[in-house]
Amino acid sequence: MKRLAPLFAASLLTFGVQAQANEDLRFDPEAMAWLCAPCHGTQGRELYESMPALAGLDPEFFTQTMLDYREGRRATTIMDRVARGFSDAEIKAMALWFAEQPAEQWNPEELNHAQ
Amino acid sequence: MPNNSTILSRRELLKSAGLGALALSGIFGASHRAYAKNAQHVVVIGGGIGGATFAKYMRFADADVKITVIEPNKEYITCLRTNDVMVDLHTLDELTFSYDTLRNNYGIQFLFDSVSDVDFDKKQVRTKQGEKLSYDKLVVSPGIDFRFEDYEGLSAEIANTQLPHAYKAGPQTLLLRDQVQSMPQGGVFVMSPPAGEFRCPPGPYERASMFAEWMQRHNPTGKILILDPKNTHSKYGPFRKGWERLYGFGTDNSMIDWLALDEGGKVTQVDPKRKLVKTENGTEIKYDACNVIPNQRAGKIAQHLGLTDASEWCPVNRNTFESEIHQHVYVLGDSTIADAMPKSGNAANTQAKVAAKAIAAELKGETPGNAIFSNVCFSLVGSRYGISISAIYEVRDGLIKPKGQSAGVSPIVDSPAQAALEAVYQKNWHRTFVKDVFG
Ligand SMILES: Cc1cc2nc3c(=O)[nH]c(=O)nc-3n(C[C@H](O)[C@H](O)[C@H](O)COP(=O)(O)OP(=O)(O)OC[C@H]3O[C@@H](n4cnc5c(N)ncnc54)[C@H](O)[C@@H]3O)c2cc1C
Repeated sequence: MKRLAPLFAASLLTFGVQAQANEDLRFDPEAMAWLCAPCHGTQGRELYESMPALAGLDPEFFTQTMLDYREGRRATTIMDRVARGFSDAEIKAMALWFAEQPAEQWNPEELNHAQ
Repeated sequence: MPNNSTILSRRELLKSAGLGALALSGIFGASHRAYAKNAQHVVVIGGGIGGATFAKYMRFADADVKITVIEPNKEYITCLRTNDVMVDLHTLDELTFSYDTLRNNYGIQFLFDSVSDVDFDKKQVRTKQGEKLSYDKLVVSPGIDFRFEDYEGLSAEIANTQLPHAYKAGPQTLLLRDQVQSMPQGGVFVMSPPAGEFRCPPGPYERASMFAEWMQRHNPTGKILILDPKNTHSKYGPFRKGWERLYGFGTDNSMIDWLALDEGGKVTQVDPKRKLVKTENGTEIKYDACNVIPNQRAGKIAQHLGLTDASEWCPVNRNTFESEIHQHVYVLGDSTIADAMPKSGNAANTQAKVAAKAIAAELKGETPGNAIFSNVCFSLVGSRYGISISAIYEVRDGLIKPKGQSAGVSPIVDSPAQAALEAVYQKNWHRTFVKDVFG
């Protein structure tokens, strides 16, 4: 996570969030994002199912959608409950983490080719 | 839709920061790395949901550490969806997963053997076949063990041959399927769910539901009698509503009857020869097929290693899942005491991720971050009628508690779309989940 920290801070700025974010977060953004994997795939990269991929989503879209679920503005079966577990800052941090993931199907083969 | 130009510019940004592929995907090519002789060694007991997820995410959290999983079976059959196997909606083959991807792509070593002992002072694991492995960190995720002794006349042997609990996936799943499917017309299927803490709290009620749907078609005068040692159960409201809608629950014609503890539901004795069970108040109930799912406790090896307390479950530091009894030993999944979190595969999966990050931090001499967990658990009330329970969890006052207002079950609504969608998501969840564990 250390490695992503500078990028994370930079993205927050471009995203129009005050520099408060990193310090105020009680949870590692990656640790939060990993919780989504059982439904949305490893790194949010399951592209072939009805529970949609999260990888590569526009962070503003991700954030807005989660806030809409949380505030009951958007019809859903389960995401309203899930979204009620996260603060604004936590949702934004996940949005930025997922935005960094390639919008491609997770394929463990790529582990053998990286580096 | 993803905004590609933003992503591209981020890729450029990463490149210029010298992070390359690494930070792009957050992972690194571990499997071809020759582990240094002095690499730290994490040994995992059990390649089930908790152990397999842990090994995969330990690799994400640390590219250099050596990881060995010790597991007796070359393939893992998920309990998840075995209730569907009993009514021919799935085969056990479809629920069977190999460890090839974890081995070949994540550089995780597998030893197909059982752990028989651990020397905590020497930090050494011993296996049944006599192997000795030294560890820096030991992770234990052995699932559950059954308290057959709570029922007079029941034993592991009888469960294997006559009264399958079918609460571990395998031959017992098929035995129970065959027993229920071959009941005479108008026969009675008696089910006794466990009391106390047990794996998959909605599991027995989902199983009863699936059999009810099957019987509607194949044995419409048959009955299902649930003898419960509890006065309530998981997803109580949504199950009841679903049973009313699908199986006439609450009417004289109901396919499912449920007797609570206070109504004499507690089974204390079984007699497979005479095909009857006896309840606490001495009532004898005849059955044509029967499923006693015994009370449970932590997996045998966790008990043997002294990782359990008086509750027969394993106390852990909720932020790291390190045992409160033995240092450098971590317990995951069904065997642990996790407070508000149920004993589910999804819970084990997110506990494993917390432990992976905590262990990675500790191996580097850093302080682990705050733990955060999730659980999403779908059940079928019928093949096209799903319900769910879910929550995000955090640690407060040393205990795992739901975070924010996230804890809840499916709302009971008039729109049939809710249940239809949750049935779709239920199947979707299983497919995606097993990839997150084994792929
Ligand atoms: C009918 C049913 C339906 C379910 N449905 C769902 C569902 O829809 N969603 C959900 O989230 N959960 C579900 N579950 C629960 C889920 O299966 C468990 O919670 C999950 O498997 C727990 O993971 P674990 O790692 O603790 O144990 P397990 O997955 O049981 O893994 C334990 C592993 O440890 C190994 N082991 C044991 N002893 C040793 C030893 N001495 N040495 C080496 N290895 C050892 C075993 O061989 C096994 O592979 C269901 C359970 C049942 C019974």
